[in-house]
Amino acid sequence: MYEFEEVVILLVEDDLGDQKLVAKALAKERIANKLRITSSGEEALQYLDRSKAGDKDSPMPDLILLDLNMPGIGGQEFLRLLKSDHELTTIPVVILTTSDSDRDILESFKLQASGYIKKPGSLEAFHQIMHDVTDYWFVICKRVHHDSGCKKRDTTCSVG
Amino acid sequence: MNLEIPFNMLLVEDDPGDQKLVKSALSAQDVKINLHIASCAEDALKYLQLSENGDVDCPWPNLIVLDLNMPGMGGKEFLTYIKAEKALCSIPVVILTTSDSEADIKECYGMYAAGYIQKPGKPAEFRDIVRNMITYWFTDGLSAKHHLQANELEKVGGK
Repeated sequence: MYEFEEVVILLVEDDLGDQKLVAKALAKERIANKLRITSSGEEALQYLDRSKAGDKDSPMPDLILLDLNMPGIGGQEFLRLLKSDHELTTIPVVILTTSDSDRDILESFKLQASGYIKKPGSLEAFHQIMHDVTDYWFVICKRVHHDSGCKKRDTTCSVG
Repeated sequence: MNLEIPFNMLLVEDDPGDQKLVKSALSAQDVKINLHIASCAEDALKYLQLSENGDVDCPWPNLIVLDLNMPGMGGKEFLTYIKAEKALCSIPVVILTTSDSEADIKECYGMYAAGYIQKPGKPAEFRDIVRNMITYWFTDGLSAKHHLQANELEKVGGK
């Protein structure tokens, strides 16, 4: 039953070129997916607040792709905040960044990132990586179904 | 960093049949990964302790693959323990189990599992799943690069 559901991917990425690359790569995937893009950690947190409140236009993501180097709160701070929120902590976060520094890698895993991928140079490589990422998270791995709670579409449910 | 450092995976699994399946699936991959097997959570903890102390026979795992149902300390307890340990919490842990219960899935992700895979019945499926897992973690992913333990990085001052 769940295999035919469209999955929701939240991209947190400030670079417009990279936003386009990810969108193009995901559009080709056989796994039906809805991509939501936010250009900063702050925007992403606001998006997730709306998700928690049951906003239909801000569906809870099944996966977050997260850049590290962004103005404002930055990727690692966003990750730290997300993982300390019990309503959001089960969402896997995959870092997608230009950095391959040991320190960034280690820090990201200490903050419980569920993957760390260096942005590839070519569109083709991007496609391959997005294919592997979606295969891992949506075909191979089981996932938490966020829409099994009352906040999905039930307008009679009280929202805190 | 040095690309010649081999990759290491720690499998925490009590069933000898499943141990064999993972071993054989790994040997069919292009990427060379040294597999270390602990037959119970307690042995896995001992391995990690030795690894932290620099024992060359217990190299630092780049990935832990963890069964849930084991005698003695169960998988969830092990996961909770290592995620609370400063030196160990950065190792990604992927659950590999027969259970597909929603409660188990939610609980494990809530305890920072970095994947949850239900064991497939057939060896060929097992191989496919392991191939995909290896690609994600060791080919596309840079987690394998992070061969330094947390305290080691602090000692050398990082990069």
